[in-house]
Amino acid sequence: MTGQAVWELVTGSFPKILEYGLKVTLPLAVIAFILSTLIAVGVAMLQYAKVPVAGPLCRFYIWIIRGTPLLVQLMVSFYGLPLLGIHIHPFIVAVAVFSINEGAYSAETMRAAMEAVPAGQLEAGYCVGMSYMQNMHHIILPQAFRTAFPSLFNALISMVKDTSLASAITVVEMFTRTKQIAGQSYNYLPLYLEVALIYLLFCTVLSFVQRGGEKLLGSYGVRK
Amino acid sequence: MALLEIKDLHKSFKETEVLSGVSLSIERGEVMSIQGPSGSGKTTLLRCMNFLEKSDAGTMIFDGEEYELAGIGKAQIARIRRRTGFVFQNYNLFANKTALDNVALGLYSARRIPKKEAREKAMEQLKHVGMEGFAASYPAQLSGGQQQRVAIARALACEPELIYFDEPTSALDPDLTAEVLEVMRRLAGEGMTMIVVTHETAFAKEVSTKAIYMEKGKIKETKGEKL
Repeated sequence: MTGQAVWELVTGSFPKILEYGLKVTLPLAVIAFILSTLIAVGVAMLQYAKVPVAGPLCRFYIWIIRGTPLLVQLMVSFYGLPLLGIHIHPFIVAVAVFSINEGAYSAETMRAAMEAVPAGQLEAGYCVGMSYMQNMHHIILPQAFRTAFPSLFNALISMVKDTSLASAITVVEMFTRTKQIAGQSYNYLPLYLEVALIYLLFCTVLSFVQRGGEKLLGSYGVRK
Repeated sequence: MALLEIKDLHKSFKETEVLSGVSLSIERGEVMSIQGPSGSGKTTLLRCMNFLEKSDAGTMIFDGEEYELAGIGKAQIARIRRRTGFVFQNYNLFANKTALDNVALGLYSARRIPKKEAREKAMEQLKHVGMEGFAASYPAQLSGGQQQRVAIARALACEPELIYFDEPTSALDPDLTAEVLEVMRRLAGEGMTMIVVTHETAFAKEVSTKAIYMEKGKIKETKGEKL
């Protein structure tokens, strides 16, 4: 294949690959990230408050999820759910698995961030008459979220790339689309390099979003 | 009738008895100072009185209502706390709130006063401690003395009948100590009931109507007791 032909293959496939990035990969990562953060906050709060039964159950959840590969979790869900009579679109299965998987890791990030808020903050809250939940809402969670934000965003960036694993359960996302195009042309390397660049592009944009988010959340007057 | 009376308060941390039978009482408008060497139980006593530590035994009579300290419930604690204020040694201002919101938060969250009204009231309290010019500053942008003055404003905002001060100037250098003591002196003059754990002997002598000296978890000496 001539250089000219490779260039045409790459430029011609670019919109087709990018389309699946914007239509499948990014929505999958962003939706799963939002859900995983909600799971993380809930699980971290149950553990922080040392709720009986629910607290240890959260530890169990984290133990199972962190102890098994994401790819295996995808496979087990994909083949297991139909056996339970649950027939849902593979995209939805992928969203659920990514959310539950990332939720376990982010829950630990959130818990650590909550525990890093000095005990005096909570005591001061009680002394002005606030309840536990009011303390959570106004003091502990905002401070913990600010601390956890860079780590949580790390998780999002990591997830954008991990979504390529969804190809294993028939979700046609950006990587699968690239494979299909590469298969038609028998020219793999240029296309895989191309898709690598698009992932890099996505993550670069997200890094800027992170910086903007950190500014938006502010640093409460602490000089950086 | 005493505003607050404590009878035979006991508190241990594991095997170590920190408070072994402390009793005291304070009338409205009185300023009680608590002094004593480090480790004598002063701070623990204050924390037990505002339920930041759970007492092992003892009775509290607050404004005529009697409570068993060991078995006191959450709702009762909340009710008493709503009528008292607490000023910490290391200020404990809410790090994520401006000076104004530090003072206003207890009003608009715990007492459900509309935000605008709560902030107006908070501003009045900041003026009271001479901090109105720093309303928009975060705690990290304030000096220790300024933070402690905001903390006093925060305690005042809830219109307490009694304010506990736990070594409010121990973390401050002499200049900053002076500005905080000045605010406390004024409060005492206005008739605020205060219980102050302090190492400032001169200040304690000057403003307190009652002085307690603690040693090894017991009250060794009480001065100015009105019998």
